[in-house]
Amino acid sequence: MSTTTTGAAVVASVAPVTRRVRAYFAPVNRSTGVPTLFDAAQLGRFDLHEPPSPWVDLGWVSRFVRKCGTKVEALRAGAPAMTVGQVRTEVEATVSLEFETWGKLQVTLASGSQQTNLLTAAAGATPNGSGGVAAAPVPLLTGTGPASTATSLNVGTAAAAGFRVGSLVAVDVDYTGQLGYVGTGVSSAYVQSSSAVGGDVNYVRRVTLNVGEVAAITAGTLELASALPAGAPTAGMQVSQLVGFCDREGASFFQEWSGLFVMPGEQGDRILFHYPRLQAMQGSVETEEALATPLERIRLAGAFRALPVKDANDGETVLCFRSYLPAALRVV
Amino acid sequence: MQNAKDTFYVMLQSRLTALNPSRTIVVRGVVRPGTLVEENELPSAWIPVDTFRLQWTELQVNSAGPLPLVSMGCSIQYVTDGSSGNGGMDRGRLLAAMDAELASALGAEPHTIPKMNYSAAGDGVAPTTMGTNVFWADPVFNAATAIGERLVRTTTVQVLAYQEAGEL
Repeated sequence: MSTTTTGAAVVASVAPVTRRVRAYFAPVNRSTGVPTLFDAAQLGRFDLHEPPSPWVDLGWVSRFVRKCGTKVEALRAGAPAMTVGQVRTEVEATVSLEFETWGKLQVTLASGSQQTNLLTAAAGATPNGSGGVAAAPVPLLTGTGPASTATSLNVGTAAAAGFRVGSLVAVDVDYTGQLGYVGTGVSSAYVQSSSAVGGDVNYVRRVTLNVGEVAAITAGTLELASALPAGAPTAGMQVSQLVGFCDREGASFFQEWSGLFVMPGEQGDRILFHYPRLQAMQGSVETEEALATPLERIRLAGAFRALPVKDANDGETVLCFRSYLPAALRVV
Repeated sequence: MQNAKDTFYVMLQSRLTALNPSRTIVVRGVVRPGTLVEENELPSAWIPVDTFRLQWTELQVNSAGPLPLVSMGCSIQYVTDGSSGNGGMDRGRLLAAMDAELASALGAEPHTIPKMNYSAAGDGVAPTTMGTNVFWADPVFNAATAIGERLVRTTTVQVLAYQEAGEL
């Protein structure tokens, strides 16, 4: 058996050419301050349509702009003063972009603060900007019928009659006085006191990112169009219906997430920008793109500031990682 | 440059054929997929209908990098008279179908393919794969024009490739 590998011609390296940027989201554990780290050495060549868990596809984004706010100053000594070295006096990095879709996650991230689900209001509820008092939630059945999963919710035949195909649902635990970060899977708000949220049993479902859409209803089970971000429901979770999403200018919470942005090169190369910790640096902003008079497309605009993490390889405190994966058989 | 042109043409013909295998044309007595490059055919005043006709137009070469970046304009013209069975009243629908096929073929991922060298290819001889990729921009669909009862549309797309060392 031959062990010879045939040599192949190596092509000169060229500047990457890309047509668009794909964005991915992963949660930051706000209670412990631990972000989700992306290892480009192990996963850099992942299928853009199938990101590795726990990364969630945010879709293509446009007007992706990275800005480096790092300042390097000269260190001078002597008379006359001469530059003898350099110091970094400030390190900062920001990212701005526009989302191509208005999904729950995109709207939340772009809003910059806690983003509420417009839960279906109880009959006669007093009007409120982010939704009135919500209708009673529907419990998930246990011990009767199939167990609920990330894509199917067993609510029972009677309760299922209250849903229809296309219903939006929020699935999360009741609010029972928790303080601090709330929201299963992703911290979606910070509760300072029970009184601040009125002790509302639906408050966690009002802010949770664990939402889905009913695609079918079968024998008391709601089949969801896609898996719930937090996975299979846990004990105590209930289901609230919602009609849409709402965010507010001036709210106090800072969303924080781990971001990954990929530029696929036309020659098979790939640039990855990984920001382990991103926080919104502006409120809710939209941009208009003229299509044809009088039509305009409204895009969600987000701007984020990077927060630091320590690189385990050398203990350096850094804001982002830029990785480049060359195409095969290129001069490096 | 010819390799890039050939590669793009074969890609487009392949994708269009996959979308609509029944779109064919008879050229010199041979039934072929309904996509052709005008400069590769015998000169003729005859304009085939319900067929995608490619013309290579402008050319730019940027030699700033280690490999010259070649940008070529590709004009894709298609005409239809409608079907005789419908008295030509379906010509708008047939044009829309061709629009959709072309948009789908050029919009499908990937938007890049390895450049192939077809110069030595033939019966039993496969083309050779080169070291870089051919890629293209989004197509621009120009306004349809009516010439009598005939509907005509020209769509342009910018095709880009690197000129590899030793490639003519």
